[in-house]
Amino acid sequence: MSERSVRTLRFPRIPAVPLAIGIGILIGGLLVLASGGDPIAAYREILVGALAPSNWPNTLNWAVPLVGMTLVAALPLRGGMVNLGGDGQLVIGGLVAAMAALYLPLPGPLLIAASILCAMVASGLYASLAAWGETRFGIPMLISTLLLSYPAIGIASYLVGFPLRDMATGLAQTRMIPDAARLPTISGPLNIGLILMIVVAIAVVFYDRRTVGGYELRMRGLNAKFAGYGGVRLASQQMRVMFASGAIAGLVGAILVLGSLYRYQDGALLTPGYTWSGLMAALLAGGAPLGAIAAGLFFAGLQTGGFAMQRETAIPRVLTMILQSVIILFLAIRHGVGRKSS
Amino acid sequence: MSLMSFITPSLVNSAVQSITPILLAALAGTLCGRVGVFNMAMEGQLLVGAFAAVVGSYATGSALGGVLFAIVFTVLFSLILAYGATVFKGDSVVICIGMNLLAAGLTAYLLRQMFGVSGTFSDPGIVGLTKIRIDAINTIPWIGWIFSRQTAITWLAWILTAAVTIMMFRTPLGLRLRGVGEDASAAGTMGIDVTRYRVLTVLFAGGLTGLGGAQLSLGTVSIFSEDMSAGRGWIAVVAVMLGRNHPLWAALACVLFGVADALSVRLQSQGLPNQLTDIVPYVVTLLALALSHRKRLKRRAAETITAHA
Amino acid sequence: MSTIELEARSIVKRYGPLVANDRIDLSVLRGQVHAVMGENGAGKSTLMSILYGMQAPDSGQILLRGAEMRYRSALDAIGAGMGMVHQAFKLFNSLTVWENVVYGMEPTRFGFIDRREAAKRVATLAERYSLRVDPNAVVGQLSVGVRQRVEILKALYRDARVLILDEPTAVLTPQERDGLFDIIRNLTADDRTILFVTHKLHEVMAITDRVTVLRDGKVVDRMVTSETSAREIIRAMTGRAVNLTVEKRPAEPGAVVLEARGLTVATDGGKPVVDHVDLSIRAGEIVGIAGVAGNGQTELIEALTGLRVPDGGTVSIQGTEVTALDVERHRDAGLAYIPEDRATTGTALAASAADNLAMGFQRKPPLSNGRLLDASAMTTHAKRLIERFGVKIGSEQLAVGTLSGGNLQKVVVARELSHAAPLLIAEQPTRGVDVGAIEFIHGQLVAERDRGSAVLLISAELTEILALSDRVLVMFDGRILAELPAAEADEETLGLLMAGRVRDAHLDGTEAA
Repeated sequence: MSERSVRTLRFPRIPAVPLAIGIGILIGGLLVLASGGDPIAAYREILVGALAPSNWPNTLNWAVPLVGMTLVAALPLRGGMVNLGGDGQLVIGGLVAAMAALYLPLPGPLLIAASILCAMVASGLYASLAAWGETRFGIPMLISTLLLSYPAIGIASYLVGFPLRDMATGLAQTRMIPDAARLPTISGPLNIGLILMIVVAIAVVFYDRRTVGGYELRMRGLNAKFAGYGGVRLASQQMRVMFASGAIAGLVGAILVLGSLYRYQDGALLTPGYTWSGLMAALLAGGAPLGAIAAGLFFAGLQTGGFAMQRETAIPRVLTMILQSVIILFLAIRHGVGRKSS
Repeated sequence: MSLMSFITPSLVNSAVQSITPILLAALAGTLCGRVGVFNMAMEGQLLVGAFAAVVGSYATGSALGGVLFAIVFTVLFSLILAYGATVFKGDSVVICIGMNLLAAGLTAYLLRQMFGVSGTFSDPGIVGLTKIRIDAINTIPWIGWIFSRQTAITWLAWILTAAVTIMMFRTPLGLRLRGVGEDASAAGTMGIDVTRYRVLTVLFAGGLTGLGGAQLSLGTVSIFSEDMSAGRGWIAVVAVMLGRNHPLWAALACVLFGVADALSVRLQSQGLPNQLTDIVPYVVTLLALALSHRKRLKRRAAETITAHA
Repeated sequence: MSTIELEARSIVKRYGPLVANDRIDLSVLRGQVHAVMGENGAGKSTLMSILYGMQAPDSGQILLRGAEMRYRSALDAIGAGMGMVHQAFKLFNSLTVWENVVYGMEPTRFGFIDRREAAKRVATLAERYSLRVDPNAVVGQLSVGVRQRVEILKALYRDARVLILDEPTAVLTPQERDGLFDIIRNLTADDRTILFVTHKLHEVMAITDRVTVLRDGKVVDRMVTSETSAREIIRAMTGRAVNLTVEKRPAEPGAVVLEARGLTVATDGGKPVVDHVDLSIRAGEIVGIAGVAGNGQTELIEALTGLRVPDGGTVSIQGTEVTALDVERHRDAGLAYIPEDRATTGTALAASAADNLAMGFQRKPPLSNGRLLDASAMTTHAKRLIERFGVKIGSEQLAVGTLSGGNLQKVVVARELSHAAPLLIAEQPTRGVDVGAIEFIHGQLVAERDRGSAVLLISAELTEILALSDRVLVMFDGRILAELPAAEADEETLGLLMAGRVRDAHLDGTEAA
């Protein structure tokens, strides 16, 4: 093969995304029509629900965990590593945060800080388990992160259903956390979790662009062999990155429990589907932090709008899930999103 | 309490039944893997098949109608992977994740729009698959428990597993498929239309998974519930990996999981909460992976899986 | 009287703005061995893939025995009697010889493959052309020379009348190459025609009847081999007279920089792939390791560079023991390494030149303070290297994936050399690189030596080893079989040693190192 033949490098090109969104809207619209609904009304409600100023607090509040889970997937993906275990890590974070809040004898702000820290460490460690599984046993993280998710969810479900259950209510949930442990609110549903997440997002972008670690991670993502040959310590990098990824998931769980739910409820962290939407947003951007955050915000708006759409029209909000899938399928097929470029 | 008291006829019978969808999905995954297309969309394919089977059965009033619907619609659904990963050279991991999510969203949406329910759909209008009862062996221990009172799809699953194995290693078609999977460019220089073989294989595999989906929703109780596939597709992915793309070894892995699953059901009836018993198959899988990955296997699996990741 | 077997008329093929084949005319007589020569990037591979039906030309015609051919795919070309042995073998390593040969044209019985018949046909064919091979052997376990015979069998099984051989001797020992030439003579005696694509002059002079030279996509000369010379062909290929030898002063070796003792790399059961190797490289010398690929060189280099932990023995760089340590520590101890595969190991194709050139420097000033990167320092560093090494690239921010082979190799060489490391390991440094860049890289390696570095050179190109090395080691079957000073090394001796025939090489008194 002639070496001078033009090599096409696959990068997600910006014009492709609007096209993909357009295709998604089209297909979604056809689906709505076919089931007897009004597509125009549907999309109008989505837009209003997401973007109307009175709805911003809701959209932002939804965006905090979603962008968080996007970063959970994007950080390892930047280095070519896949973390499909976000659900399990999220659940561990939430449960640990609830437990710490309930049982640590600490005053106000310290209690919050400690609970969040415990949650991040616990989830971080659990995520590193998968990294260890690959370096020590050769189990690909694609599989191990996914498989580890189920036991985590199952055990948490058991714990909150039996030993840790709040016997006063009839439900599988913990007691309410003390007031001192609740995240201070900003306005409406928004709490300082928003600030925390913004800080984390900035940190990730900074890490990626300006630090040696970010450079080494990016090079690993483009060609792991090259990074190793160049002196990057691949195994320890993998452990560190997965720990950070899990820790962010733990943070999300803590924010949800300490900021919105005020207790750990069985399944409550998983039902909104933040993990998989975050994964799709990360894949869309190929792990690039800014692009992933933008995609995450977009999906957050889409889903919040979907709630509004379901309220106002009779159209089920799972439509937004369909839209998301179509968008990413289109981009994956037509524009090589997700392909390793080297 | 002895081991034998764990093993009851109904346990064995239901274990065989519950393996069927996973077996078919694993067979599908094996075929795709053999031609070089990494398929982890079985979770979504099973869901599509299960839903289509219920719709078909409800609409035509017959289980056969349901099965046909399942096959047709899962094959159509598989077009996404068939063309996306070959002609369009998209990344199979992303495509499969997208497909899984699309399947979940689409079936949930249609469930609401077509039947007006959410969560679970159950109706006397859904005709389930009949179990084939073989009176001659019905009471024989073990043989009767395994072979009698199984659906036609369960029989098909094992027959197809054997047939595909023979095809793969003894026929010209099988040789060509193996070549395509090992080195597509080499196969191309021998005049083989790599894309065509891949597309047709993925579509055929889709049909197999659709069959599995039909067993899922029509095989035991005739219902459809959201997220019915409940991780079975992922277990099939692992079976394919453990079996290193060999139909028989993957089938063995499926049997292993079926046993683990039946065990967890049994433990449940002993009073252990279902949240804990449900995770038994996954823990077993992780242990099996850890044990089976010595140096040689490690390199192989890493090449096939992480090369796509 | 020879007739025209294969003719290409005015073949044109473009890839975007690049014209790979520019109105090429080719005329090949039946029963002859016809060489198609040119540097890398001259258009040989493109032309061959068109002749074999793998691609369609943008315009032009192909005539086989006077009849115009329109191939829709390689299948059509195969049916018309074309065969091709690619440079990188297109074999299924996990399948047997007979499975590889009959693939796509399997003999069947009741729908199943007739295995016995297939093996029989392959054995018969092999015997007829003296191609010694076992039909039931698994291809992955065969040596390179035998695998090439399988490739030839594939073509013969389909009764190829015209056989294209693409750089067939790149991976053969001199003795295996002679064996191949015998096979070629058998084939032409059978009235088959051979198209021999190569850049190796002495082989062209040895076996071919005619030569067509390509340069930059065009035919620049056609010659009859017996009436031309090596110099004339080179002039046609490069457009200038090129000096084939490298000017260098005698070496003045200093202290030992790299020391390996009893280095061993095991395999799963059986013979170690690197078998108790002892090695000493001193500052100010170039040591070349000659050997056919697959005798343990790759694993030896992995063990020396830290890419692999050896199973036995020690490695020291500048006195520091680095045996079980990772690549970073090796580099800290003084290693720079030009890897054999620039695309999969030596660079990240999708990354910019600046990113690629920074690798290995990113933890130290001026590129960083250990934690934070200095982007402008990276840019300056890259610009400097691009200029000093003459890399043809528009900007340091462009991805390196679009560069030609020679330019990409320059990026790797530039980076590794700019470490100014005491130890430089260069693995196949000029593979797939055009002649101009080869000259440049050779000059750089000698300059490194003169600067006082220790250079370890591994190459499958004997001419390169002979031109550059002060000492030559021969690796065979995982061991260093022999060590020769440059003055005593010649192609014949090395060739025998590379094939393991120590006695025949008449090394009286010289023990294996």
